[in-house]
Amino acid sequence: MKRISMMGCPNVGKSVLFSRLTGVNVISSNYPGTTVDFTKGYTRIGGEKFELIDVPGTYSLEPISKAEEVARTMLQEADIIINVVDATHMERNLYLTLEILGMKKPTIIALNLWDEAKHIGIDIDVRQLEKLLGVPVVPTCAITGEGVKALTLKLRAAKQSEQIKPMTEEERWRKIGEIIRKVQVVHHRHHTIWEHIADITVKPATGIPIAMIVIFLIFLFIIQIGNLIIEYLMDPIFYNYYGPWIVEFVTAFYPEGLVHEILIGNSTLESLNFTQSFGLLTTGLYVPFDMVLPFVVTFYIMLSLLEDTGYLPRLAVLVDTGLHKLGLHGSAIVPTILGLGCNVPGALATRIMETEKQRFIAATLMAIAVPCMAQSAMIFGILGKYGMRWILMVYGTLALLYISLGLVLKRIIKGESPELLLEVPPYRKPDPVTLLKKTWTKAYGFLVEAVPFVLLGVFVMNLLYISGVIELLSGLFSPVLTTLLGLPKEAIVALIMGFLRKDIAVGMLLPLGMTPQQLTISCVILSTYFPCVATFVVLLKELGIRDMLKATGLMLIVSLTVGVLMRAILI
Amino acid sequence: MSGRDVKVTPLTALLPGEKARIVALGHGKGRQRHLRTMGLMEGKIVEMVAMQPARGPLVINVDGTQIAIGLGMARRILIEKM
Repeated sequence: MKRISMMGCPNVGKSVLFSRLTGVNVISSNYPGTTVDFTKGYTRIGGEKFELIDVPGTYSLEPISKAEEVARTMLQEADIIINVVDATHMERNLYLTLEILGMKKPTIIALNLWDEAKHIGIDIDVRQLEKLLGVPVVPTCAITGEGVKALTLKLRAAKQSEQIKPMTEEERWRKIGEIIRKVQVVHHRHHTIWEHIADITVKPATGIPIAMIVIFLIFLFIIQIGNLIIEYLMDPIFYNYYGPWIVEFVTAFYPEGLVHEILIGNSTLESLNFTQSFGLLTTGLYVPFDMVLPFVVTFYIMLSLLEDTGYLPRLAVLVDTGLHKLGLHGSAIVPTILGLGCNVPGALATRIMETEKQRFIAATLMAIAVPCMAQSAMIFGILGKYGMRWILMVYGTLALLYISLGLVLKRIIKGESPELLLEVPPYRKPDPVTLLKKTWTKAYGFLVEAVPFVLLGVFVMNLLYISGVIELLSGLFSPVLTTLLGLPKEAIVALIMGFLRKDIAVGMLLPLGMTPQQLTISCVILSTYFPCVATFVVLLKELGIRDMLKATGLMLIVSLTVGVLMRAILI
Repeated sequence: MSGRDVKVTPLTALLPGEKARIVALGHGKGRQRHLRTMGLMEGKIVEMVAMQPARGPLVINVDGTQIAIGLGMARRILIEKM
């Protein structure tokens, strides 16, 4: 199968074009444009199947960071290159284009955002551009899909450029100046309404209040819509259809005994007990599908909206000053927000930070103080009925930890904390198809990753109970749990489960009959003491063993200290 | 109209709404290339869009692109006010 690599600068609409060209079958190890990981998909053009790769956006091929190195490798491995160029910013986009053409690979250029360029008064002579560059150029508008068909039809005409030779940096800028003079005419234009909005959302006096409202609305939306989905869709499915069916089904084969116990626990037709029965087919499925998935879906819809409209970089600018005090800069908002969804992509996204010091701080703060959506969903679930203040107490404590740890780490970790340098793209109308596809990919990824771990965890827990290991461990850890933290010694089960999955671990606190104070302390400890195994593996790869040991030591100390302090205050 | 009498100042001296021409980028070779590929080039006109408080980053507009840049980095870019 031939491989097509899509290359271009950041913010040129490359990902939208990519999703236009590929089917639903997209494998994304991470967020396009935010990490070095790339997205891969397949497309059929004229009966032939192609592998399509969305190469992370870079401004040039000079290896100044890992992103450029990866881009360079992907270029060399590709059979055909689609170079996506922003028609509204041709001058600086052409630098990468000239570098790519100098590599002598069959190339075709998609002149994207064509309609926007026309709209703001930029005329480009496509024929002349084709002639000067020596490769086909196709105007496209990825959002509306215009020109995408033409691009696929012309794909076979992709060729090596005869006109563009490898050249030095100065020669390249000179050549770009020449090309721009020959093919582009810019007419006078007025500020558009979106540009005015762009300005007021980045000016501190107006931007900061707007950011607060936006964040508040996003959380409101995630919680409200998530709850609606649970109440009107998932709960009826589980309680009216799935529950009675599975209890009857299992009871028919195993009326009682070990297998019955492991599969559905103490669930009966009268009391389905999805949250506490702790059976593989009851709690093991109810927690990921009913209690967590609705929030995961709503979270990723909102996150995609933030990314696709272009609001995220503005948020990064507004929080930059604050994050500087923590040894980070504005871009660290990306791993933090991603971490609120799932710590794994959050950990991967710490790569966008330039120095080792910043990566360590960003990763450690996320692992300690940023609970993932699955865990948050369960925290809402078990603390919600006692009132909002307990939930606020959990998140308030975590926020306080994020800030105070950052202040300390900035001082004790050696290394540099460089400044922010970031393009703030214009606002764009998000494409619903791309948005839904992104959300689907994330939700599907969550199910594939989470469900096996939850089931494994439930199964192992059942075995540990039956074999008496839990009792042994509860006795062993009761000095720490009971004496220091004021929790029942049985809470050890949640901490053990927390290594595997945080969501089901929070769920295991329910049957212990704890007070809201104890639940609050447990939720904070579960968030801070150790990352789940999936995050741990990624962090280990990203940070290396030494830094990971440091981070782990910090987690244990912080979690114990905060737990003891909270106990002194609350109980 | 003394066209000769232009004063070269750092980018940080520009106030929101003001425009200036970039005279020099100031940084090392690698950083200079990075700035150019983002659209910051000698001879280009920049407009100050916003300055974040407490020594926060600046947001400038070059050729219709907004770029956020840290104060320390911005200090090394030289401009002449128009």
